[in-house]
Amino acid sequence: MTTGIGARVKRREDKRFITGKGKYTDDVRTENQAYAAFVRSPVAHANVKSIDKSAALEMDGVIDVLDGHQLTGDGIGNIICGWAVTSKDGSPMNMGAWSALATQKVRYVGDAVAVVIAETQQLARLAAEAVDVEYEELPVVAFADKALKDGAPQIHEEAPGNLIYDWEIGDAAKADAGLAEAVHVTEMEITNNRLSPNPMEPRSAVATYDEAEDHYTLYTTSQNPHVARLVLSAFYNVAPEHKLRVIAPDVGGGFGAKIYIYPEEITCLWASMKTNRSVKWTADRSEAFVTDAHGRDHISTAKMGFDADGRITGFKVDTIANLGAYMSLFSSSVPTYLYATLLSGQYDIQNLHANVRAVYTNTVPVDAYRGAGRPEACYLVERMMETAARELGMKPAELRAKNFIREFPHETPVIMTYDSGDFDANLAQAEEAADVNGFPARREEAAKRGKLRGLGYSCYIEACGIAPSAAVGGLGAGVGLWESAEVRVNPVGTIEILTGSHSHGQGHETTFAQIVAERFDQPIENISIVHGDTDKVQFGMGTYGSRSGAVGMSAIVKAMDKVEAKVRKIAAHQLEASEDDIVIEGGEVKVAGTDKALGWHEIGLAAYTAHNLPPDMEPGLKESAFYDPSNFTFPAGTYICEVEVDPDTGTTEIVQFTASDDFGTIINPMIVEGQVHGGIAQGVGQAMLEQVIYDEDGQLITGSYMDYTMPRAADLPNFSVHHASTVCPGNPLGMKGCGEAGAIGSPPAVINAITDAIGNNDLAMPATPQNVWRAYQAASAKQAAE
Amino acid sequence: MTKVSLTVNGKPVARDVAGGTLLSEFLREDLRLTGTHIGCDTSQCGACVVHVNGKAVKACTTLAASLEGADVTTIEGLANGGLHPMQEAFKEHHGLQCGFCTPGMIMSGVDMVTRYKAEGRELTQEAIRHELEGNICRCTGYHNIVKAVEDAASKM
Amino acid sequence: MDMTGEHIIAAPREEVWAALNDVDVLRACIPGCEELEKTSDTTMEAVVKQKIGPVKATFKGAVELENIDAPKSYTIRGEGQGGVAGFAKGGADVSLEEVPEGTKLSYTAKAQVGGKLARLGSRLIDATAKKLAAKFFDNFQKHLNGPDASEEEAAG
Repeated sequence: MTTGIGARVKRREDKRFITGKGKYTDDVRTENQAYAAFVRSPVAHANVKSIDKSAALEMDGVIDVLDGHQLTGDGIGNIICGWAVTSKDGSPMNMGAWSALATQKVRYVGDAVAVVIAETQQLARLAAEAVDVEYEELPVVAFADKALKDGAPQIHEEAPGNLIYDWEIGDAAKADAGLAEAVHVTEMEITNNRLSPNPMEPRSAVATYDEAEDHYTLYTTSQNPHVARLVLSAFYNVAPEHKLRVIAPDVGGGFGAKIYIYPEEITCLWASMKTNRSVKWTADRSEAFVTDAHGRDHISTAKMGFDADGRITGFKVDTIANLGAYMSLFSSSVPTYLYATLLSGQYDIQNLHANVRAVYTNTVPVDAYRGAGRPEACYLVERMMETAARELGMKPAELRAKNFIREFPHETPVIMTYDSGDFDANLAQAEEAADVNGFPARREEAAKRGKLRGLGYSCYIEACGIAPSAAVGGLGAGVGLWESAEVRVNPVGTIEILTGSHSHGQGHETTFAQIVAERFDQPIENISIVHGDTDKVQFGMGTYGSRSGAVGMSAIVKAMDKVEAKVRKIAAHQLEASEDDIVIEGGEVKVAGTDKALGWHEIGLAAYTAHNLPPDMEPGLKESAFYDPSNFTFPAGTYICEVEVDPDTGTTEIVQFTASDDFGTIINPMIVEGQVHGGIAQGVGQAMLEQVIYDEDGQLITGSYMDYTMPRAADLPNFSVHHASTVCPGNPLGMKGCGEAGAIGSPPAVINAITDAIGNNDLAMPATPQNVWRAYQAASAKQAAE
Repeated sequence: MTKVSLTVNGKPVARDVAGGTLLSEFLREDLRLTGTHIGCDTSQCGACVVHVNGKAVKACTTLAASLEGADVTTIEGLANGGLHPMQEAFKEHHGLQCGFCTPGMIMSGVDMVTRYKAEGRELTQEAIRHELEGNICRCTGYHNIVKAVEDAASKM
Repeated sequence: MDMTGEHIIAAPREEVWAALNDVDVLRACIPGCEELEKTSDTTMEAVVKQKIGPVKATFKGAVELENIDAPKSYTIRGEGQGGVAGFAKGGADVSLEEVPEGTKLSYTAKAQVGGKLARLGSRLIDATAKKLAAKFFDNFQKHLNGPDASEEEAAG
């Protein structure tokens, strides 16, 4: 079948996007539309002395100016972090209060203190300028390491010394012992640079209060509209769930930044009730840089010990994670359960310990960004492995292969149980595709042209398919991470799938339909996918953590199982056969080995006319399911990057990038390859171009596309993408997930390649020409001195 | 307010616009042509690219009032029924994911192919990547966009 | 970054000092200054319009004179709120020395921006501040001495 599992089906959602007919939140315009503009702190830390709204309120077209005292006065709750992480001494994490509009204190540049509602966006922005806020400035700390120093400015009284938690995993004594017996120890200080996710569509919200029905509708740029509704209702008291509809229409990319429920969405809903107007807010890009949660920002020291044979004897990591000025929705889990649990990499490491301190700083809140913790782990492990190989005089592939895990299930000392994988197969496939054997000749040829050529590896593993609810609940998660689906077979046999997963670029309208087309042997045109609306879809936990395939599609499979069971019963009844003999084939429901058959549409019709159903059977053909995964999934693979560095300028060109991934079952290779391309591009961005920079005063100085550099077409090569898969035993389709792999696996491959080229392992991301040139000069000077 | 008369997607349009109204706002808010997107404030991302008198321009840095008599084409008006070869190629080669940058990419793609053909130059992959300098995509890594433009060039 | 400069002014030090303390002179010399009113002997309120990089803003704020050692030196400090654009702060240590040609004015100036100005304009702030400081002292010199002959020639 050309539209089933494994087929390169062209995307069904494309037509509206390529013709300009996509419907994004900012495209929504309601009757009675008013516009919001936020008054934001220009300083990083201050007491708010007064807010003078009078000038703004006098302006024509200004409907109201609202502040945090009014917001909290109306009982709107503080923004929460939904994952409770416990410090190693048993104490709960120290979470400071975060109001959607600051009342007493502002803690980062961009912290909102008031909102103007006006007739047009331009008027709202002008009036926001006229709101006079008096700030009493306080000392600022913008960097994580400095925030932990004695005497650092105190950001939240709930978190003494700005420490949110001091957490550990693994066995410190065993790791120390392992390091003590090592014949070689590789030590590194590794920084994971702070990034801004930057989906191309800025965040937006259109909130409408219906006074007659006492009901709210929110259109918003969300990866998980049901979670938004849940949190807005249960924690922020904006409206009870049955009085709030959240719609995430077409969403222009998320990458994590659109998981969270931000102050703006809360404020727009509340303001819509206050003003009895539909309130619309859309971030401009500069505003997005100070309101979208940032990602990464770790400082780590690591020690890895090896025996004489190159086997890892012990691994110890100490990390400081910057969470910004407030704890965003999943912020606490990112540098702990999504990071340190992956520090075993693809390797059999028996003695492993990680300590993580999370700190407040006067910066934008930090939360999950594509990969979320796993890129930080992978970068650390893979830089260590490559550097160790160089120090030990071994080939990087050889050192890795010596330590590969080969038996599954494999339990790591950091609580993960890897279920499947064939790391040798990915390594071999990548090495062959990258023509590693031909590299010395290419390096020599490049040298003749005055270029430094380098090769770098990264063997990544990630935990995806997030996540088994009871397991994450035991680790402090405030929600379950199952997924829900509903399968409706209509009387004429067409099929509607309602899913709690949300598609914002992933192509679910195509891939989800493929598994249904295959299962019921129906034309894909007869299948539609519905998502993104809490009034339509029963529930859902949304799309992040590469979970839509492994968890979201599994829920659909579970609902299809129920539908199929009913179909069999109806067919067996009508065809006077045993249920066990019924097969779905060629668009028909047949008795195996006979010519007795019913058309698929006839089954649908029979279910709804209910003229001739088995005794006691309910009419209708619609089933729903909730699927809770039994384990994480573990996509893994090998990435090999080849670069050429111009020693005179430090300019680096990626000449070849090869990926071999194990994603388990692949539904649509075209879409999976696209996910890998995009992930690699973001990883290359982190490795070579991107960095959020704060100055000492907590001013964000990379707040536009002129200052924050994302990869453009000419910065990237064509990618060579391959698959060597093992089936995931944990879910019915055998899927592992592919959304984050590229962003997780690629940064160390790029940096390992550049450090190979310049002969200096000491190179920080982003490897800008200036950084590369300096590192090369330092290496050359050192070499000359020797 | 300035009265401005122009042609948008083949239809005559006359409106009073404020002096500061950008073409992007004019298209999105006044004409409700929401296929032209706004992704940045600094003319960097190219989500707003449209054609003015046959040439690609960034609608976010063009004043509507300056377009008296101009002929504007947006993504909605690129094809007269059916799909333009560039639109077809983006679908065929999976040159889009979230779709937000796509209208600008397609308009830039059409512009570059038209220019190269007029000048008799070969539009190589390298040239396509260079020509896409003014368009940012965060989803695709450009790999399939380059393929799409290359393929469309052979069909335009 | 500290910005330094020197100007020789053909006027006695007392006269230069008086001008440096004269609100009307300062108002005329501060680039973009729209209003400047004395609120005490050493403090003033100001409205200044400035463009830094892509951001244009009207700054409302206070100007303060400190470390006064008449008629030799003082520190002039200003801080302005530019609404949603953010804020700008700046200051200069100014000293006057008697020289045969009149008075030598030396300054060391510093500037800082915050909010949207920093996000969009930080890379331009040093250059802008340098330009503004130079412009102020240029204006100041011209105010006391009149445009010099060479410049008049160039203008003519």
